[in-house]
Amino acid sequence: MRWLWWFVLAPQTFLLAGFWRDAGLPPLDVAVLFCVFLALFADRAALPWLLLGAALGRALVDEASLPVQILVLGVPVAVLLPLRSLFFGQRWLWQAVAAAACAVAVPRLAGLCGRLFDQPSASAQLDGMAVLWAALLLPPLLVVLRRLPPFRAFEERT
Amino acid sequence: MRQQAAVFPVGLYGMLLFALCWLTLPNVFAPLERLLLGAVCLVPRAASEWSGQPAFAAEADARERTELRTALATRLRGEDIGGGRALLASDLEPVYCAVREVLGDGSRRGGAGQPAELLLEATHAELDDCAAFVTKGDALLGFLVPAGIGVAADDGPGQPARVVLLHHRAAPPVYAAMPLDDGAHLRLVVRGAATVDPAPLRVDLWDDPYRAARLDRGGHVVRTLALDDGAAAVPPGLQLGRTRIWGYDGDDGQAALAIGVFVVPPYEPRALSHVVVWRDRRRATAVPAAAPADAPQRRFAVVRDLPGAVHGRHLLIAAGEIAAGAAVVQQGMLLGTARDLAFGLGLVTSFGASRHRWSLLLLPDDPEAPPRELDGRVVRAAGHEAWVACHTAADANARLPAGQLFTGSNGPGCPAGLWIGSAEPVADDRTLLLVRTRPLPSPRAVEVWTRPEPSGGR
Repeated sequence: MRWLWWFVLAPQTFLLAGFWRDAGLPPLDVAVLFCVFLALFADRAALPWLLLGAALGRALVDEASLPVQILVLGVPVAVLLPLRSLFFGQRWLWQAVAAAACAVAVPRLAGLCGRLFDQPSASAQLDGMAVLWAALLLPPLLVVLRRLPPFRAFEERT
Repeated sequence: MRQQAAVFPVGLYGMLLFALCWLTLPNVFAPLERLLLGAVCLVPRAASEWSGQPAFAAEADARERTELRTALATRLRGEDIGGGRALLASDLEPVYCAVREVLGDGSRRGGAGQPAELLLEATHAELDDCAAFVTKGDALLGFLVPAGIGVAADDGPGQPARVVLLHHRAAPPVYAAMPLDDGAHLRLVVRGAATVDPAPLRVDLWDDPYRAARLDRGGHVVRTLALDDGAAAVPPGLQLGRTRIWGYDGDDGQAALAIGVFVVPPYEPRALSHVVVWRDRRRATAVPAAAPADAPQRRFAVVRDLPGAVHGRHLLIAAGEIAAGAAVVQQGMLLGTARDLAFGLGLVTSFGASRHRWSLLLLPDDPEAPPRELDGRVVRAAGHEAWVACHTAADANARLPAGQLFTGSNGPGCPAGLWIGSAEPVADDRTLLLVRTRPLPSPRAVEVWTRPEPSGGR
């Protein structure tokens, strides 16, 4: 059941971000939100399918194909995942750093994949303000989302 | 075991590896992608039921676009045929052909890595009695390849005619001449350059290599000389391009030394939308009509905005299959290109949100100025404005004029002549155009241009 909720709701998060943007709120990259959640909080065994759900959502709002979205979201997660065990203590700071790193990595990877696989997309432009807002907004937003379905069902229990 | 999974997340790496395989074999996994994305789009599809009835474009707008398209077609045709008409024998009549697709992958890349093969809207059978050479304005573009021969070895008579441009490796070399500053002429042979060369064509042989080595500047116009080598008769006087010299500067009073002379054609291969082939009136035979099954079809559909649609993504609801890259058009205005999904759904990326290359046509506001074929890419967009970086081979230093922007030939599903918006040059960058598209309320009644795969193979 939790998987049904994930594949129904998680991709729509990218569309909800459109409402957020239309309302004039600060730019928020949902791809970064998913990267941080998957890398720091998600159940490791479920990661591949969680990643697929997130990539499906990004493919709704981005021109590049689904496998490119899997790479764009999956590579930062694969890099950050081994660092999860280090993130004790200063959780807020680590989350902010991870969010900022992902906010830089995601457009860079989108640009690189666009060039390599001839699938350029508008999301390949790095926006300094988006990096700043990702570092500031995503940690508190994750606190809320981790208490809501479908994210709550996939949080790793320690 | 858990410790090991923490260090080496096999599932995640497996998914990344799977994505790479997916990218390597896109056609194998395309149905899976269509199904998954189509299923995800069912949620916004259901939500869109509450967003009202589809709107049509105003009659006045549609009429204005029809007039613009007619003006573009008339001026473009006049420009493309006129230059060659003045140079060719009067018993040759022009056959004006739209380009269906510019092919530039793998072996179809020619000199300087440029695309070097064209598929035309006309079939091999329709152009069977035409001369081999293909022109545009006063320029020689390349040669028709008969069905069953060379690069068209697998083509049947009912399939789109194929043209190899001069810089294709299969194109025959061309005998030509260039005037020098002292009034003399150098005769030369021009052929396709290597893919790594700085220009599509290179000079292969000179009648006076000593004088050629002393060329100290480029920019000379190279024109064909008459030669019938049995394979491809080329009329004299057609332009091949302008020279570009590679060599050493003549420092300290020394004479310049040219070590390579290249020729830059007066067109941008990626931007070609129409070409002209020539038929001898005396030998003309009946021309069969194009196969009806191959004609472009317009399928009615509805476009609904996704949240944040001002940034260029829309949901397409259509009955039946949609070709990837098909143009989504509202009464002559291009909304974007479609991506086919399962369940009769599609996703539309608007022109402003796209970042791939476009073949474009610019109709200048000045009625005396010729239409321009451009190879463009959107670099930035805000609302209904898009900044398009353009490349055109013709007089690269000239500033682009203000005018109306249309699609060029962008594949079988996106033909030339669809209105995109009004364009004006950007003051501080001569290659940049600011394009303003027209905002329309959602949902919209649209047409999706589709075309079946060409038939008529052997």
